[in-house]
Amino acid sequence: MDIITLAEVAGNISTIGYGLAAIGPGIGIGIVFGKAIEATARQPELSGRIQVLMWLGFGLIEILALLGFISYFIFS
Amino acid sequence: MMAYGTGGIALAGASLQVPSIDEFLPPEILFQGTPFAINRIILVRIVATVIMLLVLGITAHRAKVVPGRWQGAVEWLLEFVRDNIVYQVMGELRGRRYVPMITTMFMTILVFNLCGIIPGMNIAATATITVPLLLALWTFVQYWAATFRGKGFLTYLREEMFPAGVPWPIYFILAPMQLLDIVVIRPFSLTIRLFANMISGHILVALCFAATQFFLIDVENKALMGFGVVTFVGGFVMTLFEAFVAAIQAFIFATLSTVYINLSYPED
Amino acid sequence: MDTIAASGIRLFLPETYDVVWSLIILVIIALFFYRFFLPKFQSVFDERAAKIEGGMANAEKAQKAADEAKRHYEEQLSQARVDAAKIRDDARAEASHIIADARSRAETEAAQITSNAQRSIASQQQQALVSLRGEVGTLATALAGKILGSKLADDEVQSSMIDQMIEELEPSKDGKSS
Repeated sequence: MDIITLAEVAGNISTIGYGLAAIGPGIGIGIVFGKAIEATARQPELSGRIQVLMWLGFGLIEILALLGFISYFIFS
Repeated sequence: MMAYGTGGIALAGASLQVPSIDEFLPPEILFQGTPFAINRIILVRIVATVIMLLVLGITAHRAKVVPGRWQGAVEWLLEFVRDNIVYQVMGELRGRRYVPMITTMFMTILVFNLCGIIPGMNIAATATITVPLLLALWTFVQYWAATFRGKGFLTYLREEMFPAGVPWPIYFILAPMQLLDIVVIRPFSLTIRLFANMISGHILVALCFAATQFFLIDVENKALMGFGVVTFVGGFVMTLFEAFVAAIQAFIFATLSTVYINLSYPED
Repeated sequence: MDTIAASGIRLFLPETYDVVWSLIILVIIALFFYRFFLPKFQSVFDERAAKIEGGMANAEKAQKAADEAKRHYEEQLSQARVDAAKIRDDARAEASHIIADARSRAETEAAQITSNAQRSIASQQQQALVSLRGEVGTLATALAGKILGSKLADDEVQSSMIDQMIEELEPSKDGKSS
């Protein structure tokens, strides 16, 4: 370790990239589930339909996080 | 502990081996170099298929009007796919012709995903891109074919690319994006979602158990054994989580396929 | 890390043999589901639905039969009630008829008896009248004879004779009144 390097971090910067990529989907999934719970609480008789829509939204958001995940493999 | 046959975890020495990508690209073990080469994942896939066909075939062969416990469970699954996925999205009249397709997809994905947590297999049969890709292409073909039966090909294109209620300058951006969406993004998002879920799940579980192996058995400094217990519990939880994800991904794949096909039909 | 870097993209490029095997397996599974598994279970579902519907139809038929029988019995019961009422009415009518008959017969008999009695009374009266008249004549003749016989003697004789006559009459009168 020479005099200029004060601290050293070993590893891959992609890890941080994935962490950043997971922020948005994390928020989105939180909103999806929160809203689904809210909607079910308001209209319990529609819970079946709401759950289908909830999982759809979850799938569509999840793909964003997974794109961050696979981009590590593709671009490395 | 768990044995990862041809994978990259070599537990020699005292170094923690993280599970590597090579586990998803195992070497060919049979018929090398031919189009019929078989590697570990394909072997898992074949075994899973044989087991699934045997179990379901015997169940169907012995199916009675008054169901037993196992037959009841299988019927519950079939009725779940039929009622909660297909009929819920499409309605009974339109959905009837797609029930076999969606059921096939759901059961295949469910069984293949569950291979990831079965000891001895330890890798999901959907963990190469091919199976998700083929299933997604099946959906792709079905929803394009359905345009001819439903809205009509050009109407479908127009409604997807130029959705109503948007100011016309936006169409310059929107139309290519929508075209890209219906031609490329839909099938590939289906593929990637399933595939990446299986990869990440497998890596998580394998990492937890590799760390357990390392901290509990291989490492000399026994003070770290507590950490090994934590990773073992983590691996246990992750295995359960994988079972959950396996079912959820099968459900999402089937539901999204149904929704995409339903978009080819006019609103009723 | 080098091997990962080199092979990362390979994850997304399907191998030929992988495609071949996946295709074979998926086709087999799809055939299994389309040709055997789902039709089999569909037939089981249909059969079950038919059984349940058949059971319901049977129950409905049994219900209908029971209703029919009940209606039949009720009909019979009401018929029987009507019959009983009729019989009772008939009996009552007959009874009153019999009573009326008996009464009229009794009345007739009574009237006959009465008339018989009256007739016999009348004839006895007549007889008595006739015999009385005969006796009175005889008596009068005897009296007249006695009067005519003793007229010439004196008035005393005459009056004593009348008194004697009256006295002769008197006991019969007393006997009658007592």
